[in-house]
Amino acid sequence: MEPIIATQDLEKVYRIGRVSIPALRGVSLTVEEGEFVAVMGPSGCGKSTLLHVLGGLTRPTSGKVLVDGNDLFALSDAERTRFRRHKIGFVFQRFNLLPTLTARDNILLAQHIQGDGCNPHRFETVTNMLGIADKLAQRPNELSGGEQQRVAIARAAICEPKILMADEPTGNLDSESSAVVLNMMRSVNQEFRQTILMITHNPEAAAVADRIIEMRDGQIISK
Amino acid sequence: MIAQNILRRPIRTVISVLAVGIEVSMVMLVVGLTHGMLHDSAQRIGGLGADVMVQAPHASMFLGMTSAPMPVKLGDYFARLDHVKAVTPVLFQFDPSGVSLIWGIDMKTWDRVTGGFAYLRGGPFTGPYDLLVDNWYARQNRVRVGQVVKLLNHGFTVSGIVEHGKGSRLFIPLQTAESLAEQQNRASIFFIKCTNPGYTDSVINAIKKLLPNYTVLSVQEYMSLLTSNDLPALTDFITVLVAIAVTIGFLVIFLSMYTTIAERTREIGILKSLGATKGYIIELILEEAGILSLAGIVAGYLGTWAGRMLIHRAFPTVTVEFTARWAVWAAILAIVGSFIGALYPALRAAQLDPVDALAYE
Repeated sequence: MEPIIATQDLEKVYRIGRVSIPALRGVSLTVEEGEFVAVMGPSGCGKSTLLHVLGGLTRPTSGKVLVDGNDLFALSDAERTRFRRHKIGFVFQRFNLLPTLTARDNILLAQHIQGDGCNPHRFETVTNMLGIADKLAQRPNELSGGEQQRVAIARAAICEPKILMADEPTGNLDSESSAVVLNMMRSVNQEFRQTILMITHNPEAAAVADRIIEMRDGQIISK
Repeated sequence: MIAQNILRRPIRTVISVLAVGIEVSMVMLVVGLTHGMLHDSAQRIGGLGADVMVQAPHASMFLGMTSAPMPVKLGDYFARLDHVKAVTPVLFQFDPSGVSLIWGIDMKTWDRVTGGFAYLRGGPFTGPYDLLVDNWYARQNRVRVGQVVKLLNHGFTVSGIVEHGKGSRLFIPLQTAESLAEQQNRASIFFIKCTNPGYTDSVINAIKKLLPNYTVLSVQEYMSLLTSNDLPALTDFITVLVAIAVTIGFLVIFLSMYTTIAERTREIGILKSLGATKGYIIELILEEAGILSLAGIVAGYLGTWAGRMLIHRAFPTVTVEFTARWAVWAAILAIVGSFIGALYPALRAAQLDPVDALAYE
């Protein structure tokens, strides 16, 4: 079976004025469907850049990214946006919930953008599994960090994307909330067979994954 | 989401709605005042009951804007024409202190042409410095019979208050007007009553034959010409004011949406990460501007209604006339102005790089 994510010699160089800052230096990796992979490394090693490139949010300077058999950067911007909408869900360190919306509306927003309408059964399953069914009427500022992150996971998972990309999902949480969130991610991975790629610098968080990829200075040092 | 965004920023929302509301009110009040005053002037000329009006060559359509007097004796000639029942001369006097147009009238011939005034209080002139006012002027200026009113640097005693709708709002004896204008036996305009309105054209033709350069119009024609569409200067005036109003609405919506985009950069990044297309984001912002605009239109209609009430209360002689056509135009202009104002911020938001947007603090 083909890997769901495959990269080949990925390079990403940021240019600030005349200064070039290499963030990714020839990254090649594969992730199998249904895998839970953690990418670990110190700050500035290129983890988040890798996630943004794999998620189609930013274009690499060179190299190739295949996601679910599609060459992500051979697609037009609009095609890539549509692709991302259907195949990839994001979870961020800062939760990135819309402050004006309730938890329910934040989750439904993903379905609205996807344009397939609300699937009540799926909504109920996801919110029950993540333990936020009684928090749906609340706005982000009325929720704890752990609850906000579970809402963010629900939003990412609601449209059944094949891949869930999480950028330091426990970075803003205390250890208790981190454990809950990681368990939830594990459950999403196991129950919905969603591939998870999680960026973290926390070895305890990484330990939840099936596999750990270590990065340093824009390169993979162990798979 | 749009509703929540609108509600979450109440001050911005109120300012945007007010700006569009002011735009709509300004358009409707300016047009309403212009149309209303013109229509009122036309109605008052129509209310005289005359059939033909004669002015000196090159006289302005706006009565009183030019003195261009004619010899009063011309009236005798007009009176001798076939099918003419009565002729009355009027000499206009403009009082800059009160911005009033005063008509000097010859009461005897005036009554024959117009059928006379309907007196609500008092009666006709009894002295040279007597004054008749209509009831709207009396109400606006709280004028009573017997009161002395200063006009044209003279004190005039109000001898009567008449029903509005006949020519002017202020009337003085013709001889007094001539004396004050230092123009003896002169008239600014003649109003002619035909024996039958069906003879109007024949009387006009007869006058034009003798006085080819004079402005000779049927009262009906004058009334139909007295619309803003037929007055280029007024059309330009309305256009300029409407353009200013639309620009205000456009700028406020532009600024409002522009600052909103800056404030919500991170949210746009989130939407993009969820797979929102450029079209989705543009639509979202334009819809928000559209809702603000619609709320502004409603506020504008309410403001216009309130504005008219205030104007009527403060200035009973001023007529504000609204038409459904201009209500629709004001709404269209507000929507188009808001749409254009929101378009650039919307395009800018759609172009944001998702990673940069997500990193925005």
